[in-house]
Order: sequence, then C-alpha cells, then structure tokens
Amino acid sequence: MSVTTAYSAKELPEAISDLKAQCDCDPRVVIFFASAKYNPAELSRQMQTAFPGACVLGCSTAGEIALGKLMRGSIAAMFLDGEIVADAAPAIVEDLRGDMRVGDAFAQIERHLHAPLASLDVGKYVGVVLADGLSGAEERLMEKIGDRADIFFVGGSAGDDLKFESTHVLLNGQAYTNAALLLLLELKNGFDIIKTQSFVSTGKSLVATKVDEARRCVIEFDHKPALEAYAQALEVAPNQAPALFMRHPVGLMVDGDPYVRSPQRIEGSAIYFYCQIKQGMELEVLNATDIVKDTREAIEARKATGEPISGIIDFQCILRTLQLRGENRCDEYGAIFAGIPMAGLSTYGEAYLGHMNQTSTMLVFH
Amino acid sequence: MAGQIKHMLDAIVAQRSKGNSTLAMTTKTKLILKGINPDRFDGTSPDDPAVIARVRAIAAELGARV
Repeated sequence: MSVTTAYSAKELPEAISDLKAQCDCDPRVVIFFASAKYNPAELSRQMQTAFPGACVLGCSTAGEIALGKLMRGSIAAMFLDGEIVADAAPAIVEDLRGDMRVGDAFAQIERHLHAPLASLDVGKYVGVVLADGLSGAEERLMEKIGDRADIFFVGGSAGDDLKFESTHVLLNGQAYTNAALLLLLELKNGFDIIKTQSFVSTGKSLVATKVDEARRCVIEFDHKPALEAYAQALEVAPNQAPALFMRHPVGLMVDGDPYVRSPQRIEGSAIYFYCQIKQGMELEVLNATDIVKDTREAIEARKATGEPISGIIDFQCILRTLQLRGENRCDEYGAIFAGIPMAGLSTYGEAYLGHMNQTSTMLVFH
Repeated sequence: MAGQIKHMLDAIVAQRSKGNSTLAMTTKTKLILKGINPDRFDGTSPDDPAVIARVRAIAAELGARV
C-alpha cells in the first residue's frame, strides 16, 4: 500500500489512536490537516509521538477533505510509505512578516539531501508549502521560493475555521505561527500538479494604476476609483458591485490561464483583495463557471493520460468550499475523487508558482 | 532604440530554463507574477528606462545575467 488516508472527528487523544488505526502502512511521511478546534501544539506533539519514525507535518484549516467528504471539526490525514517517498526534507521559514529567511530553510533542506537544490531533477522532486494564512506574506514567500528554485512547490495557506484569529503550521511535534513549512519530497514514481479554477474571462480588462501592494489594495483601476472601474466593467452601479465579488474576481492571465485574485471588501472606493496586485498589472474580469464540472473534467483529463494516480492532496480555497456548501454540492465534489486516496483542506489561499485565490491546487502522486 | 526589453526577457527565460520547455513556461509565469509580461514586448518595443531597470532587478532576483 503506497498512499492511505484517514480522518477523525474525535477529540484528542482519541483522534490520534483513531487515525493510527486507519493507517495501513509504515509511513515515511504523514501529512495532516486539522480543524482549529484542536490545540495545535498538543496535536503536533501527539501526532509525532504516534508516528515516531515519520516526517509528520500539517496545518490548521478552514475545513478538511478526506474520503470524498468536505468536513469541519476534524482531522484529515494522508500517509505516504516507502513505495512513494524516497526521501523527505522539511524546513520551517520563520518570521514571514519580517526577514523571511527562505535561504536558511533551503540550506537546511540541502544539508539533508547532500545536494544543492539547483542540481535536483524537477521531475523527481516536488515541494509542498503550507503557510500561515494570516501572515499576508504568501506572495513574497512564493516569489522568494521561485527565485531560488525551479523545483515545483505546491500547497496553500493554513486556515482557522473562518475565525481569522490565528493559524498554525505544524512540523515534527512543534506548532508555528508567522511561519511557513517547506517539505521537499523525492518521489520514486513521479508526480503531477493540477491547478483548477472555475472562471472564464469576460474580455474586460482593468489595469491597476494605483495600488497599496503590501495591504493587497487597489486604489485605482485605469486611473479611475477602483470600485467605479470594476463596476463599469460589470455594467452595474458601484453599490451593486460588492455583491458580485465572489462570481467576478479578476485574473492575472498567463497564456489564457487565470491566476485568480479575489476581491474581499471595499473601503471607500478602494478594493481590498485576498492577494497582492502590483502597480501596472493588467487583469481580466472573470465570470464564474461550474466548480464540480470543471474539477471533474480536470481529474478525468488527468486519468486519461494513463499515468497511475496513487493519491491526491487537494489544497482548495475556502471560497470554493463555501460555494459548494451554499449550492449543496459538497457530495458531488467529493464523488469526483471516488476510488482515489485523497486528503486536503480548505485554505486561505493556494500556492503554485505564486499565491492565488478561488483555486484548487493539487499534488498528484503517481 | 528598440527591442532591448524583449532581448533581456528572452535571456532570462533561456538561462533559467536551459532548453526545458516546462521551465520556460514556469519562468514566464514567474515574470508575469513579478509584473512583467513578456508577451507585451517585441523587437519594436521602445526601450523604456523604467521598464529596463525593473527587468534588470528581476534578472538579479532570478540569478540571470542580462
């Protein structure tokens, strides 16, 4: 057995024994995603104690995904054994809001691997990144990672059940805030990354002409107040625009593929986003499509390649989960992954090459 | 003068990707995420000093020589 998954809604310490009973292998890596209801330090310590021979890591969530279900108040876990993982090198990047010493974390990983990252085969090694979802620093983190490495890093931002108080990343018995966890995996059979988001361009574009990048705020689009320009693109009055944020985010387009930036709130005529927008960026206003249909098509397309799928980790935006809950389509979404060992979480942001919103980024193990 | 920006961006992509088409795509994505879209520049694009300065800075961030 290469990849097994488990979940538990019990309290500590019974949840740990519950997960361990469902673990059908001798794991080299245990990745878990846990409701913020669990004490993070205690959870991390107990998980490491339960799996002393493994690299044990995870984060707090805005919801958990396992066994075809989108859940709350639980722990979802994935166990990767030696048939999948040849080596696992974790590191913590502390002080995300300050120094963010990614170089130190990479140096630690390189010491473990006895090789520079630049020498690694990008087809055999993949990175997982879990970041404090309240740090506001994910863009800078992903940029620094991408500057230093061609290895693909995929992951997301930890959540806290929509309380927006404190999120945690967890590694080897410890719990961290204002930090990110990097895990470099050497995989024996390869991997894919899927990025799926359910939007199409409306054909209307907006140029961010005045921004407060650090605060994720656009003050002006096209030299006009941001809210006015956004509303104009949607052909609605400005006071009607905020109600359309979820269905009409904006996308930074890369060869027709949107890296979604979701509007969060307004302050006067400025729009705050869940993601930084740089001065001068041209963005396209997006229109929502069908999350279940699009995700099913993405998974079916992956299956059609003929490459085996041993397991999938789904880093899914909480906004997608909320939409699925609102539409009563969570079971339909879970059914997409029937027969595939899958675990994941509802995130406060998704990571693949950069930071983005309203997206599922997935790591597919061959 | 014209075309210097495209020349610089092509050099960045070439150095980072080393002929790997997947890495060429991801390097292009990283440039767009940094705020410079290579598709907006060609051999006739004016040599805007502000853009050139930004591309030089990006090249340094990516460890490329331009």
